[in-house]
Amino acid sequence: MKRKTAVAVAAAAVLAVVGGIAIRADEFTKQDQERWEKEYMSVVTKGRELWTSPQLGTNGVACAQCHPNAANTHPETYPKFQKQLGRVIALREMINWCLQQPLEGKPLALDDPKMVALEAYIAHERRGVALAPGKH
Amino acid sequence: MKQISFGLIVALGLAATAARAADAPAQPLGLPPVPIPADNPQSPEKIALGDKLFHDKRFSSTKQVACDTCHEKAKAFTDSPLHVSEGIAVRGKKLTGTRNAPTVVNAAYFDAMFWDGRSPSLEDQSQHPFVNPVEMGLKDHQPILKIVRSDPEYVRAFDKVFGKKGAQVSMKEVEQAIAAFERTQVAGDSPFDRYFYAGDPKALTEAQKRGFDLFVNKGRCVSCHVIEQTQALFTDNRFHNIGVGINDIQKDVPELAGAFLQAKATLAEVDRRVLGDKRTSELGRFAISREFEGLGAFKTPTLRNVAVTPPYMHDGSKKTLKDVVVHYNNGGVTKEGDPVNDFLSGGIRPLNLTDQEVDDLVSFMEALTSPQYASLPSGARTEVKP
Amino acid sequence: MNPMVPSRRDFLKGAAAAAAAGVVPMSVVKLAFADAAQDFTFAYISDAHIQQISGAKFVHNWDRGLIRAVAETNLLNPKPDFVMFGGDLGQLGRKAELDHGAEMLSKLRYPLHCVMGEHDYYLDLGEYWSKLFGPHHYTFDHKGVHFVVLNSILTYDDWTYNRWPSAEQRMLEMAGLDNPNGSPFMVGEKQRAWLQADLDKVDKATPVVVFSHSPLQKLYKGWNFWTEDAEEVQALLKPFEKVNVIYGHVHQIQYNQIGKIAFNAVMATAWPWPYPQSYAQAQNAMPVLTVPMNRANPFFERDATGWQFVDVHTGRVAMKYNLYNNTNRTVAWNPGTGKPEDSVFQDPAKRIPPQVHY
Repeated sequence: MKRKTAVAVAAAAVLAVVGGIAIRADEFTKQDQERWEKEYMSVVTKGRELWTSPQLGTNGVACAQCHPNAANTHPETYPKFQKQLGRVIALREMINWCLQQPLEGKPLALDDPKMVALEAYIAHERRGVALAPGKH
Repeated sequence: MKQISFGLIVALGLAATAARAADAPAQPLGLPPVPIPADNPQSPEKIALGDKLFHDKRFSSTKQVACDTCHEKAKAFTDSPLHVSEGIAVRGKKLTGTRNAPTVVNAAYFDAMFWDGRSPSLEDQSQHPFVNPVEMGLKDHQPILKIVRSDPEYVRAFDKVFGKKGAQVSMKEVEQAIAAFERTQVAGDSPFDRYFYAGDPKALTEAQKRGFDLFVNKGRCVSCHVIEQTQALFTDNRFHNIGVGINDIQKDVPELAGAFLQAKATLAEVDRRVLGDKRTSELGRFAISREFEGLGAFKTPTLRNVAVTPPYMHDGSKKTLKDVVVHYNNGGVTKEGDPVNDFLSGGIRPLNLTDQEVDDLVSFMEALTSPQYASLPSGARTEVKP
Repeated sequence: MNPMVPSRRDFLKGAAAAAAAGVVPMSVVKLAFADAAQDFTFAYISDAHIQQISGAKFVHNWDRGLIRAVAETNLLNPKPDFVMFGGDLGQLGRKAELDHGAEMLSKLRYPLHCVMGEHDYYLDLGEYWSKLFGPHHYTFDHKGVHFVVLNSILTYDDWTYNRWPSAEQRMLEMAGLDNPNGSPFMVGEKQRAWLQADLDKVDKATPVVVFSHSPLQKLYKGWNFWTEDAEEVQALLKPFEKVNVIYGHVHQIQYNQIGKIAFNAVMATAWPWPYPQSYAQAQNAMPVLTVPMNRANPFFERDATGWQFVDVHTGRVAMKYNLYNNTNRTVAWNPGTGKPEDSVFQDPAKRIPPQVHY
């Protein structure tokens, strides 16, 4: 009994310190969501910058030239068998294919932040479309 | 005998093929089941008949040339290292054509036969060399029909296989038997297959592994020389202008293309003209499709067993696999810096491979040889002389 | 059966037709019409987008597209009466790009007329273009047909003259198809007045063919598949019995019918664009009539690019799309329905998998 009271008192003390807002370790708030959403959009924005950048490859061609608003990238169909690579791949491997082939550049490491940004932009422009993995 | 090894594979339970006719050839590692047309099922007797027809020299005007003259089993069913094939001899000199004899091995997986795809099947293809003036020189198929209708062994065989006798035996049956024999000539199970499909990490050398990576990525090979997740035909069954041969006639294309179309060109006529005249031969697929896209375009051959079937390309102009890779590296010309032809396939462009990378690609291609042909001389890096 | 391989019967049929026609890869569409005006053909090459990397280095891919289109056009038999270039010769309007493109076009054996594209215009407002190719808008008559070439990629004066700190910046902004800083294309009041005055002199029974870079329709604003004064321009064309508009810019097969005007888009020699309906976040109006081109395999750099030859028969246009790595397509006027139609794939039951765009 005594222990429970002690805990309750301690908790009340914490509450008092924090100014009356109840925050558990594994709960997140609306403000957290909004902030995280902004974090995400900052990476989408970075992805858009890369998308229109002539610097990704070596010949000045940008992704946006063939894929305005990331159209025709079909992220919802990955993983899928990709004819140009002869096997089932994830989206980022096809991004690397494009970097090497039409853009005549070097592939990105699969965990490169730039790769994540490109995927974030592609997915953002395709939001709302149902998954259809393997579809051609 | 090679037939027995097929039996072993079937016994190992490689598939549903065991459930089908026991004489359907089982697919080797890395290959799908052999496509068999519904109207020409396999049987041991038909295959044996086809084998006999394939080797019969009497089906030529000089009685010296059979199918196996240019498609010899000991040379992986080619006439390596001849650049272009040699047919009947006239006044002591063998006539030559314009094209390099493709292998029969794995030809069963092609959708069209000949370098320009002018024949839609193995059956149809088999009738043409008999009556080509530089190959076997017959005026028509009558001499063949005469023999198969009268030679006692043939009479027995055609009756057993097709239930046909005398005048009922036609070129159709002859073609079907030859095709059935050719459908047994399939070969996979190469070091590449064991590495990629059987998961044996030691099956390829380090150079070959690097070459495999190049084949799929920087070398851009895989789009036409197809490898897939569970099988690899190494051909897309399509036609592409990769800048071999056409570069020599580029200025003449308008005149040649026009002249070709003016002539009354039946399929037999095309067959005769492309083998008889080198410059016309370079028109490639155009001779069949009459489309711009076919100008200078030839069928993607399989790369299986490529190392042991030099020289390379439709005209045999590339002596070694190294020469081939250099041609691709140059973006579709033999000599770096030469202008490419106007009709070059959109898949061909300079690759910027280093010397090491060129060598690794060659090494990879050596890994595509099936065990039964592994002892043949390799044209990978040095010219194989006759 | 593999459609790539002709049956022997198809082959023989094709051989006879082709032997009669010469080197032409497609049969000329013969339409039954009571009174035949003069028939003729012309070739249409468009959207080459020659792009400079640095110095004398240009993007190899786009160069090859223009080279091939020119080489094949030169093989056409029957010979075309003239060749149109549909705009966007350069990518950023640079002198080096226009020169390099003009050099490739100079290999054509036939008279050439050019249409202005936005990628040619917004660096120097077409000054160098005029030196190479002449006026930005003009007309000519040929075998009883009145041809009008519009500069339909102009935009609001404010955007053109006041918005950007440099010509290079202005060009870069217009060069991005999906750039929200862009500005809608238009023909503009001045040019419309000129067009009205010109058309007033033309008999209403004369067939009219209008060449334009922008679609002279409102299709999808986000990618400037759009002409701001489309309705006004269409109104000027309305009095004519037979009007055909041929436009570039969209890098894809499109066709449509509005009133008496048949609209036909041309392919790019450089690269294909997605159809607007494949952009999930946008509402857009695509002509319902259009049977889409096949989706591109990006490995084959010429896939979903092409050029076309136009068959003018009794004042109607039949577009023959010469496509690499794909079956060629013909979009011809169907007098029964009064619309342009694809001669093979119009019926949805006849479509093939690569024509599905999602």
